[in-house]
Amino acid sequence: MLDLIWLVPALPLAGATVNLFLLGPSRPGRRLGRNGGWLATALVGLAFAVSVGALLDLLAIGAEERVHVTRLFEWITAGSFSVDVAFRVDPLSITMALVVTGVGALIHLYAIGYMEHDPRIGTFFAYLNLFVAFMLVLVLADNYLLLFVGWEGVGLCSYLLIGFWYDRPTASSAAKKAFVTTRIGDAAMLLGIVLIFVHLGSLDFDAVFGEAAGGLTQGAATAISLLLLAGAIGKSAQLPLHVWLPDAMEGPTPVSALIHAATMVTAGVYLVVRSHVLFELSGTALTVVLVVGLVSALYAALASIGQFDIKRALAYSTMSQIGFMFFAAGMGFYTGAMLLLVCHAFYKALLFLTAGNVLHGMDDETDMRRMGGLRVDMPVSTVWFAIGALSLAGIPPLAGFFAKDQIVSFASTSDRDLAWVLATIGAFLSALYIARPLFLTFFGRRRNDSHAHEAPGLMQTPLAVLALLVVAGGLVLGLTAEGGRLAVFLEPVVGAVEHGGGALSEGTLIGFSVAIAVAAVLVAYWVWASGRVNWQAFPERQPELAGWLANAFYLNALYAWLVQFPGKGFGRALRVVDERVIDGAVNGVADEVGDASRLAPTIQRGFVRSYALAFLLGAVALLLFLGLRIV
Amino acid sequence: MTTPISYFLVVSAMLFSIGTIGVLVRKNALIIFMSVELQLNAVNLALVAFSRMHNELDGQVLAFFSMVVAAAEVVVGLAIIVTVYRRRRSASVDDLTVLRG
Repeated sequence: MLDLIWLVPALPLAGATVNLFLLGPSRPGRRLGRNGGWLATALVGLAFAVSVGALLDLLAIGAEERVHVTRLFEWITAGSFSVDVAFRVDPLSITMALVVTGVGALIHLYAIGYMEHDPRIGTFFAYLNLFVAFMLVLVLADNYLLLFVGWEGVGLCSYLLIGFWYDRPTASSAAKKAFVTTRIGDAAMLLGIVLIFVHLGSLDFDAVFGEAAGGLTQGAATAISLLLLAGAIGKSAQLPLHVWLPDAMEGPTPVSALIHAATMVTAGVYLVVRSHVLFELSGTALTVVLVVGLVSALYAALASIGQFDIKRALAYSTMSQIGFMFFAAGMGFYTGAMLLLVCHAFYKALLFLTAGNVLHGMDDETDMRRMGGLRVDMPVSTVWFAIGALSLAGIPPLAGFFAKDQIVSFASTSDRDLAWVLATIGAFLSALYIARPLFLTFFGRRRNDSHAHEAPGLMQTPLAVLALLVVAGGLVLGLTAEGGRLAVFLEPVVGAVEHGGGALSEGTLIGFSVAIAVAAVLVAYWVWASGRVNWQAFPERQPELAGWLANAFYLNALYAWLVQFPGKGFGRALRVVDERVIDGAVNGVADEVGDASRLAPTIQRGFVRSYALAFLLGAVALLLFLGLRIV
Repeated sequence: MTTPISYFLVVSAMLFSIGTIGVLVRKNALIIFMSVELQLNAVNLALVAFSRMHNELDGQVLAFFSMVVAAAEVVVGLAIIVTVYRRRRSASVDDLTVLRG
């Protein structure tokens, strides 16, 4: 199975090809679209099966030798520069591949029901499959360049899918925003890859990490790591390149679940963990990762609390959770980051898809101020959302509890007191911001007259599986920070967890985490569901604070002022140059030629005898010329 | 005794000048045509005279060629002039200014 790993990205790619070119844009009168959806789902499911096979093969090998590289063909060679198309199976990449294909297949299945009535369902599944294919190239690549191919590919698919309903101006501009913003990070990342080659002479992971230990100065390592981190920040929507993620919610909800919650946005975390050797060599870069993650986590948590659009609230919560992953990676707690990545993929996909149920049942209403009390109409969805939200909040024994608790505890036991305090505040806020949509949407008083309907069985099935994963995932994968299955599995790639001593015991920390989570959920209930607090009047009572939260501290406006405004001015100046200088030159030449050509007909008057005279004069002149030359 | 070459050349030059002036000053297409013939034959005369002077036949051969071409030209040219006269009841070249730019 390990040699067949190329099948994993190839299968969804085949699905994309078939859907795009054969079934494709549903022809009138033919309902191929839904079949295309089944095909797409089946192929991603098959890719998952191959990944599971590869995992079993990997587990059969001794822990230290669990690396298998399959070289398909030589891709680029120029002098000493050589890049293969090669796929790498090791514990880290197979973990990512399993998440991408597993959660991906479930979301595909959900999307068959969700997108059923869309006339372009075939195109939708083609893009979705293409995304999965690129994502798998990204995580399975054995060198930085192939990783970059996947990296750009998922960016393209993200653009296509955010703007899937391109007839909505907001959707198409959100798509452009996502593409351009992440591109800023990608440009830096490409520079980082070039620097890697310049300093280490190769782009293959083994060669790079092997060489780096001896042959890389700290300054070079810092430069490379920071450039790679810029790419990760753009892709994972961390400060300061996060502005695209909330807008990306314009895309269909399965897209938000797959790309903007479970997989693509966590690619930045994968990149940092994969390149941890370089980051550790630098030291400074790792601290930057930690700070970026922590600040993003707190910033997004506050912004999430200010949102009334359910999907935007979830988007900020994703950003906040990824901030926690960066935070964990920045402390060197890579297994914790990966555990949170996996668990987050489960419960955030569940949350987003349940939000999709709500949108589906309420005719695309996204404003939570017009929801409330949906537990009566949508009891099943309420259960799913509650499981996802409580998991994110950190209520044991759900998956999110283990991941988040381990990260916060790690901060406490590694002498980072300030980070620990901030992370604890972040944990409290994260429980608050996710309990808020739960209570606003499903509990409290009904604020809408229309009757919501529960989603059909086809859409509930994947949710049930995801809910099961959320309930069992943490227990199975990450019972403790050092001994959890995932931590042990990843150890050969990222190293063992180095636990320092802390002032507080493990038990105290766990108790503290749970207490914080429960307190936050209770506060959320009291504010948004008990009916005792008039939260709707909050924007009027505190317009300033509400404005800061709802607009995410006005960073969008700041960017508009800093970038958009000068950019537009520059564009206008260029337009003047274009019209006056460039067009002016071309038009001027044309005018001159025109004027000159209007002179020519004046000597052509139609009198034969004047032509004859000219003829004669010409002949005389010629004779004179020749005569004078001879003389 | 032979006539000096200059006599022939003077006659030739006079004929050519008359022909040239005729082409330039007359309006009637037929007269212009005749003037052109005069120029052609002035050149023929010069050719034959030079041929005699050099004792070579090249010039005379060329004169025959130009006479043949002139004959063909007369056929075409006269036909055009007659057609123009039929259509316009005039053979004045100053009236034929349709190709004015």
